[in-house]
Amino acid sequence: MAKEIIVFVEQKDNEPRKVSIELLSTGRKIANDKGWNFSAIFLGNLDEKVFDRIKRYPDKIIHFKNTYLEHYTPEAFSFVVSEYAKNNNAAMILAGATLMARDFFPRLAVLLSTGIASDCTSIDWGQEPIKLIRPIFGGRVITELSFKTEPIVATIRPNSFPIESPADKDAEIIIQEVDIPDEIVKTESIEVTEPKKGKVDITEADIVVSGGRGLKAPENFKLIEELAEVIGGSVGASRAVVDSKWRDQSEQVGKSGKTVSPKLYIAAGISGAIHHIMGMDTSKVILAINKDPNAIIFNYADYGIAADLFEVLPVMTEEFKKRLGK
Amino acid sequence: MNIIVLVKQVPDPEAIVEVKGDGKGLEVEQKFTMNFFDEFAVEEAIRIREKNGGKVKVISLGGAKTTEVLRKAIAMGVDETLLLEDPNFEGSDGYSTAFVLSKAIEKSDYDLILAGKQALDDDAGEVGPMVAQFLGIPHVGEITRLEVKTDDNMVVVDKVIEGGKEVVKVPLPALLTTQKGLNEPRVPPITGVMKAMKSQIPKMDAKALGLSEEQVGEKGAKIKIERYLPPPKRREVKMIEGEPQEAAKEAVRILMEVERIL
Amino acid sequence: MDFRLTEEQEFFRKTIAETVDKMIVPKADEIDEKDEFPWDLWREFSKLGYLGLRYPEEIGGMNADPVTAMIFYEEITRGSVGFAQSVIMNILMGTYFVYRFGSDAIKERCLLPAMRGEKIATICFTEDQSGSDLGATRTTAVKDGNEWVLNGTKMWITNGPIADFATVLATTDPSLRMKGLNFFLVEKGTPGLSYGQRLSKLGCRGAITGELVLDNVRIPEENFLGDELGKGVVYVGEILDEIRVMTGAMALGIARAAYEEGLEYARKRVAFGNPIGRYQLIRAKFADMATEMEASRLLVYYAAWLIKEGLPCRKEAAMAKMFATETCLKVVDEVTRIWGANGFAHEYRPQRHLRDARFLLYGGGTHEILKDFIGRSVIGKI
Repeated sequence: MAKEIIVFVEQKDNEPRKVSIELLSTGRKIANDKGWNFSAIFLGNLDEKVFDRIKRYPDKIIHFKNTYLEHYTPEAFSFVVSEYAKNNNAAMILAGATLMARDFFPRLAVLLSTGIASDCTSIDWGQEPIKLIRPIFGGRVITELSFKTEPIVATIRPNSFPIESPADKDAEIIIQEVDIPDEIVKTESIEVTEPKKGKVDITEADIVVSGGRGLKAPENFKLIEELAEVIGGSVGASRAVVDSKWRDQSEQVGKSGKTVSPKLYIAAGISGAIHHIMGMDTSKVILAINKDPNAIIFNYADYGIAADLFEVLPVMTEEFKKRLGK
Repeated sequence: MNIIVLVKQVPDPEAIVEVKGDGKGLEVEQKFTMNFFDEFAVEEAIRIREKNGGKVKVISLGGAKTTEVLRKAIAMGVDETLLLEDPNFEGSDGYSTAFVLSKAIEKSDYDLILAGKQALDDDAGEVGPMVAQFLGIPHVGEITRLEVKTDDNMVVVDKVIEGGKEVVKVPLPALLTTQKGLNEPRVPPITGVMKAMKSQIPKMDAKALGLSEEQVGEKGAKIKIERYLPPPKRREVKMIEGEPQEAAKEAVRILMEVERIL
Repeated sequence: MDFRLTEEQEFFRKTIAETVDKMIVPKADEIDEKDEFPWDLWREFSKLGYLGLRYPEEIGGMNADPVTAMIFYEEITRGSVGFAQSVIMNILMGTYFVYRFGSDAIKERCLLPAMRGEKIATICFTEDQSGSDLGATRTTAVKDGNEWVLNGTKMWITNGPIADFATVLATTDPSLRMKGLNFFLVEKGTPGLSYGQRLSKLGCRGAITGELVLDNVRIPEENFLGDELGKGVVYVGEILDEIRVMTGAMALGIARAAYEEGLEYARKRVAFGNPIGRYQLIRAKFADMATEMEASRLLVYYAAWLIKEGLPCRKEAAMAKMFATETCLKVVDEVTRIWGANGFAHEYRPQRHLRDARFLLYGGGTHEILKDFIGRSVIGKI
């Protein structure tokens, strides 16, 4: 039997999650290069039109059904995927590194007596052994690893792979009732509560949009708030505007405020005083917007726009709205 | 209730960590601390014992210096500790670590196992669920609230899900991994510190656990680290040229397509 | 020679350092700004039980040896000097003579509550006209029946204005100078006891320093703290070395706090296209600071070890205090230089360490007195 690569597809609101599509696109390439079969696995209740978006990537789409799969439990999900993997010569099983997959994939690995690589940022399948890359120590060190056993079980960080055009053949769709022994599933979900409308603290936010003196007046912070709202970020502020009472102390980024390390830090109208820098310089990507092309902040940023923030911010907000379909 | 807590000693978040020249190893500044998320696990276990009675035992796999985190647990108020120490444990991955821990756990009675959701050196978050699978018990990951229902022999927890929370019920024995917000870990009082300073830390090696060399450490690991690499250096700033509106649109394109932030 | 701390001491050091980082460091700036006694922090910290550090376990203490005590003094001072002074006063100077000579009733009333943080203790040596020159003490104690009557004014009393009880140095016979000195326990609420002006200090803010005025204060016989009259100076000698080494440990704590600020700045501040830590003159500063701090550390802990072993150490204790202080003063100065103009701003910490460090010059003995003593010791009687 030829080997197989499996991608676990996670869905949200009847849409496959973006990271799953990234992996389906990558899975297609891996399957082509290695001559492997390629299956996408769906678990639980869903509307079958969710397959439409991705049916040109895998060879097979398998939708497993069982009452125990109607709601996520680590035991049921790992059991079903491991059974399929055992019976289909799985060489590689991938999922996006979401809370769900990172929760049950380790159990899956133990069921298959293999290892697991969590939150990987890259796969090099062009050589033997296949290598995976993942960060440790919060990204201060990168590791390159390989598996001594099969299959490779890995969760992949979102935004690690591009979504490329699919093949031109539709996948075979298989809906399958599957058996899950009662004694395996013990967890029971009681209720799920809606996302809180409260603000995410800047120290925990993935995205922080900060404003400084360059905004000229407290009302103008509206531009920062709108941009933050569209991209799901939290609002930060420089010490200068907090001292001037434009913004609350809880939003202050800096040595005497809070230290943040988000995936994206946008600094608008902030010159880059050292104490501010000390509060955000470990952010993954920093974009600075300042009218003064010699502003210190550009020494610490990845990207810079030396222009008037009043002209830049609204256009960015609109552009994001368009691209994110809001 | 018998509660087992799994803790790991990790380098201090401020410790300097550098890749050795040949990429085959790491130069780590010798400053260690208890893994951040494990503190919540230790604290919660002690609180459960204060309310329901029983015993808290803390187990850690590590080297000689790991006694420090076990002493910290004693200072906070746990009843027993156990250090799994053996040169053969070197080079473990998540799998062999979880395997060894599960063998040590099997030697005790337990109703509940608590562990931090992930360690801040490996950032993997694998060992907790893997231990649960090895033991054949259920687990719930990233809990922010825990209620023990002694009469029904089960626990009800809040767990983190994307942008919200889920309330989950699971019978004991079970393993739970702890997330920030579960509690506020106590500062050990001097009486605890004194007790910890005087304590003898029991140890077990592979042989005591009934395991062979092949089953543990690097030999028992399923993953091999081929090499370490330093992170990409922060580049020179890329100034985005053009009229403000054009630059703004280009910035959005870069953030979404190149940096893939959203 | 094993220069290492034992595993237990290392664990203690780590634990107290983490406790300080968690509880005290976040409040240090505010304590300095407000210059008010931090009651909430005091209560929270007292609950941990560290105020009983030096006293026997049987009465609820920790029975810590001098080396362990120095570790504590160093770490807590690193967190906040103002707060540390209050804590250390309750741990050592403010309670020692009560512990040593107090009756059971006095211990019950004063020592045990002080160990729990329920009462604030202090000690009164200095007066307007006498600091180093203890023999010139003018506060008098006169026996009248079965009471002592105290008269005088004490200055520079740490937490004097809020103290529940004070150990007061007074003379029973001024003509005997040093040999007329004795310790007396004076409790809050005793008629005639009042507080004069409160002093606004350059540093160590948060410790309430003021004047204590004794106007015909009558205290019962048992409040005389001693076995015999005239032995006050001898009794001070029992803890003089520890006080000096303790001051040295405090100097280590302040130096480290400043030093770490310097490190962070050198690593992050960019000038001429590079983090300034890459430049040789900045590196030279760190080389000097690190070397002298290391030497101070060895001298302080060596002196502490001598005390622990019961070996003579008057000279070494004086040296440790002096050297660690001089090093600390250099470190806080260098760090403000490394920080450039930012070292001049209240919003950053280097200026606080610079201000706090000055108290080390006279606390535990002025350097002029210490140098005279050390010089005399090594030259000998000629």
